[in-house]
Amino acid sequence: MGIAQKLADNQKQVAISEFFEKNKHFLGFDSLARSLITAVKESVDNSLDACEEARMLPTLKIQINKIDAKKDIIEMKTTDNGPGIPQKSVEKVFGQLLFGSRFHAIRQSRGQQGIGITGVVMYCQLTTGRPTHVRSKIATEPTASVVDIGLDTRKNKATKSNAAREIWEDENGELVEHGLEVTCRMKAKYQKGRQSVWQYLRMTSIVNPHADITFIDPEGEVHHWPRVTERLPRIVESIKPHPRGIHLGQLQRMCNESQDSRMTVFLRGNFSGVSSRSAKELCEASEIGEKTKPKGLKSEQIRSLLEAMQGERTIAGKPVKLLNPPTNCLSPIEEMLIKKGLSKTIDSRFISTMTRVPSVTNGNPYQVEVGLIFGGSMAADKHVEVLRFANRVPLMYQQGGCLLTKAIEAVNWRQYGLEQAGGKGLPKGPAAILVHLASTNVQFTSEAKEALADNAEVMEEARKAIMEMGRGLKKHLMKKKKMAKTQEKFELINDILPAIAEKSAQILDRPIPDLAGSITKIMSAVISETQTTWNKETKMTDVSVVLFNYTSRARSYTILCTWPEKFGATLDNNEMGGRKEATGVWAWKLATLDPGERITLSYSLGGLEKGDWTETDVFYRGSQEVIGATKMDEKFLDEIRQQEKALKEAGMDIVETRESLLDSEPVEDKSSDAEPTEVVSDEFDQPTIEAPEGQQTLFGGGN
Amino acid sequence: MVKRHSPEETKVAMHGVVAEMYDKMVKGEPPSMTLPVRTKNNIGFDSKLGVYKYGKKRSTRDATSLGSAKQLLRTLHVVEFIEQMIDAGKSSTLREMYYISESWGMGKFGTQNDSNNLAEDLEIVTKCLREDFKLRSEEDGARMIGNLTLRERNRRGEWMRINARDDVGDSGYGLPYNVEEEKIELLEHDIDFIMAIETGGMFDRLVENGFDEDYRCGLLHLKGQPARSTRRIMKRMSEEWDVPIIVFLDGDPWSFRIFASIAYGAIKTAHISEYLATPSASYLGITADDIMAYELPSDELSKKDIEALNAELSDPRFADTWWQDQINMMLDLGLKAEQQSLAKYGLDFVTDTYLPEKLKELGLA
Repeated sequence: MGIAQKLADNQKQVAISEFFEKNKHFLGFDSLARSLITAVKESVDNSLDACEEARMLPTLKIQINKIDAKKDIIEMKTTDNGPGIPQKSVEKVFGQLLFGSRFHAIRQSRGQQGIGITGVVMYCQLTTGRPTHVRSKIATEPTASVVDIGLDTRKNKATKSNAAREIWEDENGELVEHGLEVTCRMKAKYQKGRQSVWQYLRMTSIVNPHADITFIDPEGEVHHWPRVTERLPRIVESIKPHPRGIHLGQLQRMCNESQDSRMTVFLRGNFSGVSSRSAKELCEASEIGEKTKPKGLKSEQIRSLLEAMQGERTIAGKPVKLLNPPTNCLSPIEEMLIKKGLSKTIDSRFISTMTRVPSVTNGNPYQVEVGLIFGGSMAADKHVEVLRFANRVPLMYQQGGCLLTKAIEAVNWRQYGLEQAGGKGLPKGPAAILVHLASTNVQFTSEAKEALADNAEVMEEARKAIMEMGRGLKKHLMKKKKMAKTQEKFELINDILPAIAEKSAQILDRPIPDLAGSITKIMSAVISETQTTWNKETKMTDVSVVLFNYTSRARSYTILCTWPEKFGATLDNNEMGGRKEATGVWAWKLATLDPGERITLSYSLGGLEKGDWTETDVFYRGSQEVIGATKMDEKFLDEIRQQEKALKEAGMDIVETRESLLDSEPVEDKSSDAEPTEVVSDEFDQPTIEAPEGQQTLFGGGN
Repeated sequence: MVKRHSPEETKVAMHGVVAEMYDKMVKGEPPSMTLPVRTKNNIGFDSKLGVYKYGKKRSTRDATSLGSAKQLLRTLHVVEFIEQMIDAGKSSTLREMYYISESWGMGKFGTQNDSNNLAEDLEIVTKCLREDFKLRSEEDGARMIGNLTLRERNRRGEWMRINARDDVGDSGYGLPYNVEEEKIELLEHDIDFIMAIETGGMFDRLVENGFDEDYRCGLLHLKGQPARSTRRIMKRMSEEWDVPIIVFLDGDPWSFRIFASIAYGAIKTAHISEYLATPSASYLGITADDIMAYELPSDELSKKDIEALNAELSDPRFADTWWQDQINMMLDLGLKAEQQSLAKYGLDFVTDTYLPEKLKELGLA
């Protein structure tokens, strides 16, 4: 059985098509401009979800045409290279509301937020009276099926017409192997700006760096967001509902549909986080016999059970202890990919990203990710751009009322180097802030699903992540300042001083003096210059650290560099040897550096893609300050090692290394050759939950 | 004492500056240049010369910061440029030098102010004059009218005899940027004093009213803050002809500064005060008490005016009682007045009444 077949078989149906007609304003079809965005969104979400489940790299094309400008009739055509839909399922997928595997499964998915593509079919039917044309090709069949799908909203039934099979060739005349094409006409308005199809696709592209998206706007202009990674989002597992997050209706249905003979089996088999002990305790707390058949429960009993599940009924004054649900049902974008997604879309100088460890609120696993992009061509005197996402779906409306926006506003940005009137509200500056909430159950403020509802735990997680990122920005700005100063000194000794020597010698008709002594006096410091560059030919990231001793004494140092060990990188061409100090930290003891001498340390990082690793943090051990590097605070290394040890003892691999470990910010020097300063650090959090595989935070990266 | 330098002496003096930098580098030190501090806190009265000069405070400009290093490099380019001009017998304006610096790469000037300041720095450390460097500013030279005769060497190198009453039109004799002996010789005069006037309007009024002939004086238009050549020619006339210099300005804090630069020396050019300043010059008006005595139409002092007056109170050049009284009086009044406000009483009031009365006070009429 083909993959598409399998997916389709999974589908169940819920009849609420009449609901749509009465409530289309809840469903994103309330204004002409928004209807078009919603239509694009439903179609794109479907395509991305289908490709993801089928483990295919999505290539999407969206075309918008104005058919009748006076009557606001617009044609939307979306094409994907996904698995396609088997002929017999097309009708169901496009013709029934809330039809889809994900409605019943508990895991993170995009479509959770929409009413689905059926809504689009229905909207088209209602506004233009025209059916939606679907062309679908699955890999196991030689031809594509085409059909026009309309909708009978009263009977919740699709009407189909003109069903046929045909050969599907792409624009180059090549046979399409598999894919789906949807063409429909609706009453809608095409708009530009913040709330537009363009912005929706741009944002989608940021959080789906594995997708290749082409958009052709009504003026024929082609916008292309290329794929920047071959890595697909990881497969997310479905999980059973957690007792803390369940609602009465769902619990009633589960009891009614249960074939189990006794409560304890039912509880253990249908919920996550329920051990046999807690199953017994739940029965006890809700005063239901362990051997009771779930199907026969009375509604008062179900209510009691719900109260026990939610900790309102207790045993000996304590709520029933439950395990947390597993978090491998979440699919974060991951820091490196956020970085790539942001940088392909927005021109900038600096990116900081942060993926928090998954956590649980009300029985629902969730995870917060943030990204900050700074500089480049962004406007410096305007509010920062807020990019909100829930389960990889852009949120474009109701920005002010959204939890994610509130989390940004709750941070004092002045301390991180952005302007903020009165120390609260959205900061101003050349920056964009991305906040992504991945969760199995995203709570929205309304059915329109455009703003996340308040939740103190999620808010705190988001705020912490944003603050961490802010520290990254501050560090970057300070580093930039210091680098500019160092750059000036280099200009002085490399360009100006030799020119002074040459010109004065020429005027006096004397030999050009040796400048070594003057240079030492002028710099009176040890300076390091680090370069991290992508080598096109070798497909490796080349790193070089040059250390200049511009002091009058010999110096010896150990240099430590961060590298993306957790991300599977390899350390190659490392001729200086050195040794591993901790995960993601390599150390080299350098030979004594005499006054006026320089030493170059170089190596390459393999196993990375371009843009994965663009900045290496350099630390030193030694008495004299090194400008351009940070003095290593041994406490941090100790903490990393302790964490490694603890995890090893627990039989776990290291899953999470927080950037904050090395995120040390030296107090700003009053002069470039000041004494080494005390290093201040952020508090180090031990991860409390095992992160799913592939969930990695790069040590020291993020710049 | 400032003295003129021959081309050879000028070069030697400039090489001294270059050698300071060069020797520092040979010794393994950052190249440097030592300069006097050029603020009012470092000027003092030189009783021998009767003018204000820079004191002992020195600052070192060394190549430990990018800005100073660039300034040193510029200095070397300027030295080289001056040598080339000396050898080629040319001169240039400071503005021309600023544009020429475009080709100096890293040594080019950021603003024209940079080039002006650097020329002054070089004068100070070499004790040469700008004229020795063949550099001149675009400052507007003064014009003079009156029965005084001088000769000027024209472009063709010929001496021209000029009487500043008979040989000139109503705009008077215009002074060239170089008023040194190689260019101008003061021959003879039949005047009792020279009146230096701030504004063109007042200068023209006195010319029209024939004040120079009625009161046997030379009239000189300062054109605001007087150019170096203007101050220099006043100094020469005062010394060579022994005629008093009477200064007639607006009655405001800026006029007081103009007078200080004429009589005591300017802060920026304190290294050559004895060459530019005329200590015997007298301030005629408009004084603070003139505003009251003549009930002159006046304006209120602005915030900047008040700041300037307060700064003058602590300026060593205004340390005598007469000036302290004048400044305090103006601060108390809170008012200032222009020269031309005298026109309140008619066009002839200034020549028929005001000036004769003021000159009488000074014992000149």
